[in-house]
Amino acid sequence: MKAVSLTGISKTYTIGALARRKVEALKGVDLSVEPGQIFGLLGPNGAGKTTLVKIILGIVHPSQGNGVVLNHPIGSTTMLERCGYLPENHRFPLFLTARDTLLFFGRLSGINELSLKHKIDSLLDLVGLKDWKRVRIKRFSKGMLQRLGLAQALINDPQILFLDEPTDGVDPIGRKEIRDILIDLKKQGKTIFLNSHMLSEVESISDRVAILNKGEIVKIGTVEEITRAGKEFLVHVDPTVSIELLERVLQELPSARRENSSFVIPANDLKELNRSIDILRSHRIMIVSVTSVRSTLEESFIQLIKSETAQ
Amino acid sequence: MRFIGMVRYTLNETLRKGTLLFYAAIGFIIVLFFAFGLSRSPSSPNAIMIFGRQFTESPSESISIIDFFLVMLHRQASSSMLLFGVFGVAGLIPSLLEKGTIEIFLSKPLNRSLLLFARSLGATLAIAMNIIGFTFAVWLVIGLRLGDWNWGFLWSGFLSAYSFACFFSIITFIGLTTRSTGISVMLAFMFALISTGLELRETGLYLLWENGLYHRMLDVLYYCTPQLEGMSRSATAMIAALPISTFPTQFQVAPFVFSLASSIGWYGLSAWYFSRQDF
Repeated sequence: MKAVSLTGISKTYTIGALARRKVEALKGVDLSVEPGQIFGLLGPNGAGKTTLVKIILGIVHPSQGNGVVLNHPIGSTTMLERCGYLPENHRFPLFLTARDTLLFFGRLSGINELSLKHKIDSLLDLVGLKDWKRVRIKRFSKGMLQRLGLAQALINDPQILFLDEPTDGVDPIGRKEIRDILIDLKKQGKTIFLNSHMLSEVESISDRVAILNKGEIVKIGTVEEITRAGKEFLVHVDPTVSIELLERVLQELPSARRENSSFVIPANDLKELNRSIDILRSHRIMIVSVTSVRSTLEESFIQLIKSETAQ
Repeated sequence: MRFIGMVRYTLNETLRKGTLLFYAAIGFIIVLFFAFGLSRSPSSPNAIMIFGRQFTESPSESISIIDFFLVMLHRQASSSMLLFGVFGVAGLIPSLLEKGTIEIFLSKPLNRSLLLFARSLGATLAIAMNIIGFTFAVWLVIGLRLGDWNWGFLWSGFLSAYSFACFFSIITFIGLTTRSTGISVMLAFMFALISTGLELRETGLYLLWENGLYHRMLDVLYYCTPQLEGMSRSATAMIAALPISTFPTQFQVAPFVFSLASSIGWYGLSAWYFSRQDF
């Protein structure tokens, strides 16, 4: 059983009252998420990330396609009973206290009153708001509201959690705490579907990542698979070699670039790498070391989006 | 449980806003005013005294001064309820639909129609508590002070609450389609005015244009929307029969039945519209 399985999800919005213009927010998205994984969904602004999550939760209706979450049709009540959701820029009723907010959303999730009270205490403790239990949330900072939002998403003990920018507005210590909570939830077997702009964050905790651009999934895989996409090697050479010689050699390696006494050589396989090394050696340049350059998720993401935009 | 939770939340939200508490406070002052100032005139059994000032005038011999006083009170209270009630609760639907709020509500396992209905019920209950509470208090004070226990007046409180519930079906639809508190309030007032005009269409709006199609259109509009004025006039007949030709002399159930049917229609339309919306 897949935690999330989507087939051909498309969404077209019609904009304008008179001049009806159609905007394709999602174009036939196929996606599957294994249970117990942290799945990161990345993409530039307007890529369709939030729309995709909202379609899964039934907040937005798809124009085409269908899907299941934990074997329940997307957006169905039975599916929602097993899900938790923290939307981006959420707004809680300001007249409520932290406790009342969780009490209300717990009731709305159908949890019985008795177990709810115990649950609220443990959740507020988990997100570090225990001492703020009886304080009206109009006095809360953005970071505190995010923590409360996370507690709200966990109130029904969901099997799958959809988080849209969960660390938005949270300080670095708070971000680390939220990351630890997510890792802990994963250990408990929960699936986490994470929408975030914080690429380093996604990189550090996600098992799989999908990159969405202009409504299409352009890349999907483990973080390692995604960051390996642009394969480059760093070749350190003898630092005593003159710059003139290095520059001359560089002309024979048009795709490479020089960084002081090193060359960054793109190569898809070992043969290609060795051809470049042969060129260096033909000029009697001594090789000190050869290391594989792994780009960060951010670099891979930017490169991918740039190449997609260029196309 | 989920449905009741939403109703309780809406009631709580309405009361926390303070608008309805303010109305309740004004109602309480009016009740106190009657409690301390109202009495029967010692000189005439058909006169009442308000802070020493005697009132004997009734528009007709067929209606006592107390009944006339209660009828006027009912008319004032029901029209004030429509006026001020709109201010108190018209924003509840647009506030539910605000970005960042609606997403959380829709992610909970509660059917959209039930969510909307629970919200409307909560708003209606808040107004009903106000109007029924006020009517009961006035009924009690008048009964104790004047010895006149007009049960029709007591019932008129419940009928006013029923009337507001029907009215809220229109407010719900307006709130859903405009998603704006300001526009909702404005259009709700406009509808209340139109409703009064439609009740008197035979003696008013019909005369503007002698065209059969126009008359039928007014009729359709009248029967497709809650008959606020019709219900208020009918409730008046429960208190006393007014010697005015446009007021019924007996309680008429028709405006309540037609209003219920049209309200179900409006709620149904709102639920259908809500279920198709993307947020």
